[in-house]
Formats: sequence, structure tokens, C-alpha cells
Amino acid sequence: MNDRPPIVDVRGLHVRFGEVEAVAGVDLVAYAGQSSALLGRNGAGKSTTMRVLAGVVPATAGTVIVAGYDVRHEPLMAKRAVGYCPDVGGLVPRATPWEHLQLTARLRRLRDWEDRARDLLERFELGDVAHRVTAGFSHGMGRRLSVVLAALHEPDVLLLDEPFDGVDPIGVEATLEVVSDARARGACVLVSTHLRELAVEACTTVSVLRGGSRVATMASTEMLGEEGARAYRGLLD
Amino acid sequence: MPTAVSSTDLVPERPRRRHPVSNAIRAVADVGHVLRFRAGTVRHRGLSALGSLLLLGVTAAIAIVPAYVEGAGGPDEAFDVLVVLPTALAGFVVLAIVSAAASGGGRELIPRDPASIHPISPTTDHLGALLLAPLNIAWLIQAWALMGATAFAVGSSYVYQAQVVVLLWLVAGTAFAQVLAWTLEGVRRVPHGIVGVRMLNVVVFGVALGLQLTDQMISVFDSLPTRWFVLGMIADDGGRWLASVGVVLAGALVLAVVGAVPAHIAAHRVPRDELRVESGQYASRPSPRSDLAAMVRTDRGSVWRAVPMRRGVAVLAIGPGIVAVLGNLQWGSMTILPGLVASGGALLYGVNAWCLDSRGTLWRESLPVSPRTVFDARALVLAEFLLVASLLTVAVAAIRAGVPSLPEVTALISTLLVVTVQVVGASMRWSFKRPYAVDLRSSRATPAPPSMMVAYSARLALSTTVTGLFFSALSQADDWSLSLLIAVAMLSWSGIRLIRVRRLWDDPAERARVVTTVAVA
Repeated sequence: MNDRPPIVDVRGLHVRFGEVEAVAGVDLVAYAGQSSALLGRNGAGKSTTMRVLAGVVPATAGTVIVAGYDVRHEPLMAKRAVGYCPDVGGLVPRATPWEHLQLTARLRRLRDWEDRARDLLERFELGDVAHRVTAGFSHGMGRRLSVVLAALHEPDVLLLDEPFDGVDPIGVEATLEVVSDARARGACVLVSTHLRELAVEACTTVSVLRGGSRVATMASTEMLGEEGARAYRGLLD
Repeated sequence: MPTAVSSTDLVPERPRRRHPVSNAIRAVADVGHVLRFRAGTVRHRGLSALGSLLLLGVTAAIAIVPAYVEGAGGPDEAFDVLVVLPTALAGFVVLAIVSAAASGGGRELIPRDPASIHPISPTTDHLGALLLAPLNIAWLIQAWALMGATAFAVGSSYVYQAQVVVLLWLVAGTAFAQVLAWTLEGVRRVPHGIVGVRMLNVVVFGVALGLQLTDQMISVFDSLPTRWFVLGMIADDGGRWLASVGVVLAGALVLAVVGAVPAHIAAHRVPRDELRVESGQYASRPSPRSDLAAMVRTDRGSVWRAVPMRRGVAVLAIGPGIVAVLGNLQWGSMTILPGLVASGGALLYGVNAWCLDSRGTLWRESLPVSPRTVFDARALVLAEFLLVASLLTVAVAAIRAGVPSLPEVTALISTLLVVTVQVVGASMRWSFKRPYAVDLRSSRATPAPPSMMVAYSARLALSTTVTGLFFSALSQADDWSLSLLIAVAMLSWSGIRLIRVRRLWDDPAERARVVTTVAVA
């Protein structure tokens, strides 16, 4: 039991799109300096939960507190505290990486951000394409830039939705480094992914979602190896 | 265990090439498959069916009713119309060429990315573009004008036989335009091809202007072979009429088949202008000074770096201006132009304005900025886009129009402002109500499905034409301030409607609906 207040506190989250209930009663807590993974099959509600935390999709029911702000009532304050890498695309097609960074820096009132931006671009091997429009980027390049954009302002809550999807080993390594850096400075990290092994490597705890609900939360070490794979498989069915 | 083919093994037989005729049959059959797929994705089928019936009904009425009005087929006004019919037939072809060439070969039956996983041949693509060509308000208006004029000119005795020729002419003209459009697209895709096509445009405009300035335009029109078809329409001799029908029908079929050749050639070449935009470097600029300026800058980039928008706005801004110059349009009638251009501009992306960010919408929505600022930036950039195009058109049209009177100036300024706000308001309303996931990378991409594009363009054309005609009448008034006073009232009304949409955009649930829809492009 953690005696600190959670940075992310989700209670009874429901999200409905017409007839479809994408999230059906998720409860989730995550703490500063902790990285948590959201695992589950397609349509389990992982990305929708992440979108609610990022303030992109409103909850149909339930309360969502991010960095002390109720996302429903103080969406802008919550957005300031969050860095979000969406699951699909996440990039404006006819803007360059530098223009993306400039926009986020402006809206978040960042000062002297350029050196950190250049450093992140270099770490993710995007320095050479900093001034090229992203429409011509490969899927992996797009994913890497989305992580850079989420991490630029060193947010209190870092939300990475499928950050490893189609990313080469250097990009995976750089993403793991970003997660580790964020934890080290006391940020709360949530990673949604299908890749159990990378989730275990990146995170300290793992929550498994099924059919829009959370079915288990455990230490990531319990998901290790063959036994962990079997346990995970058992939770999916 | 053998792992590869040895030199002693028999060489595997290469797959046999299909015969061109069987390829063509397959391509035609594929048009049906893709059409059925598209029809299955229509959201409101009942409404679409009703719209299609309405469209057919209106077309039939336009093609027949004028033949029964007083004076139709007579020696006075009707004869004057008959005399200009050959020019009208040629004019239709010119417009079809401009439309098909501007959209890089015509509309896509199925967008490029989803189509890329299917073995859809360029022939299918070409035939699909031919089928979709009429779903364009410029094409429809021109076709309706031609049909209506023909019916009135020939009267009730010849109307049915004449309309058969006109209908076939529309098909043949569109097929011819498609052949030229694919050819130009093929040329654009070779090294220096873009420059070549631009130079060709300048030459064509120069020749047209030269003919007009030397008063030779009418004699050129008189010598057009289209006269032969008009005479066929009103021939009492069945054989002469059949000859006209046969020639146009054969021409239409040959052109439809021939169009597949440049379509294949273009499809096998890289679209250089798209590639140039996607691989182009853009130097960094100083950080914007406000949130609104930052959003406006991003939106401007999304608009002006998109191939369909750049190409479309160039045609829209310059095309009507050139027609106005050639037709010696006077200041009083120039109030028609801003509405025409603004409507066309909105159809390039404005009617689905949130699709600009495409997959980046989710990330943008996660940024800490007021939704109203986001809305304002989008509306401002659209207004700016429409105004730039309209002003350019007016500037070109003004070349031969002489010095305007004060009421003409105020009427034109009023029209510019009113239609811009009208079109921006309608566009933002539709963008909010019916968002579509669209990737605007291709020069052939449209912001909404073809049937919706027709509906949007018809509504925009109607409202802006009425506004233009209204201010055209006001430009003849003695009091120059009358236009301005009425413009203030109209701007207030359009402004209120725009503000209403802005308020709706504030609702996070509604915004999420739009954002999650357009983000899957």
C-alpha cells in the first residue's frame, strides 16, 4: 500500500461511444516515480483510457484526477501536466518536427527548450529530419517523434500509447531511457502496449484490461518469462 | 534438404501475361466491385437515394421544360441561343479539361492509401474518375446550362433527338478531358515536367488573350467543328442525326478506352509535386508571440503545403479571372466572382476543416490551449485562404474592366466580405457536424465523399450566387453606402451563426467525436 497520494487516480471510468462501451468501469491509480503498464487485447479499452487521461476524450461516467486536477473540470490544467503520445499517428502531416516542438513549447510556455529538444531529437535519431514535414516519415519515425513531443516539457504524467509499435531497437532503447529519466525525476509514467516483455522492462507495475475493465494489477516481475506469459495469457481469456 | 533452386532444376514457369482485352474486362468489372464497396460506406442511404432522384429529376426537367416555354425553337431569342450552342459545346469541354487537370486526373473512386492494398489497375482508376466527373457542381452547372439552352434553342419538335446528342457530347467531352488530364499528369511526373505544364498554361492563356485582344475569338468559335453536331441535333433527316449520334458515341467510346493509356503511364511515374512537399525542408522561424499565432501558423502550413490546395487555389484564383478578362466582365457583374471562388476554395478542404491535422488531431487536442483558440485559428486560416483567392480573381478580372464607380467598389468589397464569412460559417458548421477521415496528401483527394461534395457545392453555389447577384443589383444604386449597410446586416447574421458553431465546439464530448473521427485517416 502506498501512503503517498496518487498522481493518476481513476475511479469507475466509463466511456461510451453511442452503443459501444469502450471502457466499462476502470479503476486505476498510479504514483509519482512509478511507471505502470496497461496491457490487454485489441479493444480492451487501453487507448481510450489513455485518451481520457490526456483530456482528448471525456469520460461518460466516473472521476479522473491527473496531477491533482479533475480532467472534466480543469482540462487545461490537466493537459499542462501531461505529455501524451497517442496510439495512432500523432503528428500533423504537413508540419516539421521542429514546428511540432515549437508549438508545444509555445503552448506550454517553455523557456530555453531548444537544447533539450535538439538533444531528444538526436537521441531518437531524428536530428537530420528536424525540418522535414512529417508526411513522408515512416511509421517508426512517427512513433519516435511522438515520444519526443510527449517528453519535451518533462511532464508530471507521461502517457505513452503503443510507443514501441514498429520502432527499431535504437528507438526502443531511447524510449526506455525517456521512461527511466521521467521516473528518476519523480514523474508518473503510464505505458499502454501489446508487447508484454517491453512493458515488463519499462514498468514497475502492470494492469491488465479486458473488455473495458481492469482485471488485474501486479508487479511487473510477475509477468516475467514463460510463467509470466502464461499468467498474462490466462488473464486475456 | 534443398533450400534453393539448383542450376540443374527445371526453371519455374513464369506466370503468363494476361491478354490486354481480358485485362480491360477485369478492370471494368473491378469498377463495379469498387462502386459497390463505396456504396456500402454511404452513411445515410435513404437520403442519398432521395438526393440522387432529385438530381435526376432536376436534370430531366432542365433538359425538357425549356423546350415548351414560349418562344422556344423560334426565330428570335431561341435562334440566338442556337447560334452560340457550338461555342457552348466547346466551352463545356474546356471546363471539363480544367477540372480534370486541376485534380490530377479526376476524383478517386477509392482513396489512394486504402486502395494500395488492392490490385486495382490504372484502367479501373481511370474509369472510376470518368464516372465521378459529373459529381462536381461546376460540371453539373455547365451540363445543365448546355441542356437547358439546347432545349430552348431547338424547341419541342427536336428536343428529344437533340438531347441524345448533348448527353453523348457530355460523355465524350468528359472522356476527352480525362485523356488530356492523365497526359498532363504524366508530363508533370517527368523531370522538369511541372515547369513544362506551367509554361503550357501560360502559352494557352497568352494565345486566348491574343485572340481576344485582336477580336479573332469569335471567328475561332465560328470555325469550331462543333457546329456539325448542332446541325445534327436539328436534322429532319434521320440519317444525318444518326451520323451525329454515331460519331459522338464512337468518339466517347474511343476516348474512354484511350484514356487508360496515359492513366497507366502516369500511374507508373512518381508524383513529383507531392514528393517535393513531403521531402522538402522548411527552415525554422522565430517562435510565435501568442497561442493564436502559433495555431494559425500550424494551420497555414497544413493548408499551403498541401498539393491539392495549392493546385486548386491556383486554378480557382486565376481561372475565373481569365474568363472574366476574355468575356470583358464589367465591375457591376464582378460581384459574382468572389462567391464562385470562395465556394470552390471551401470545397478544397473547408467543408471538412478538421481533417487538416489528419492523424495529428489527437496530439493537437492534448495540447493545453483553449478550444476557442483552436476554432478561431482554423476559421481565420480558412477565411484568409478564401480571401486571397477571391482578391486574386478580382485583380485579374479588373485588368480590362476600366475604372469602377464608388457604388461598384463598395458593392464588390461588401460581396467579398459577406461571401467569405458566409462560406466560412457554412464550412465550419459542416466540418463540425459531419467530419470525415481524409488524407489530403494526394492531388486527387477531396475532403468528403463525392455525393456530399455535390450537396455541399450546390448549397454553397446557391447561397453565394444569390449574394453576388444581390450586390450586383446594389452596385447600380446611386447611394454607395447602401451596399455597406446591407453587408453589415448580412455579416452580423453570418457572424452569429459562426459563433454558434464555436460554442458547440466548446463541448468536449462533441469535440472528441470530431477528433476521433478525423484522426483515423
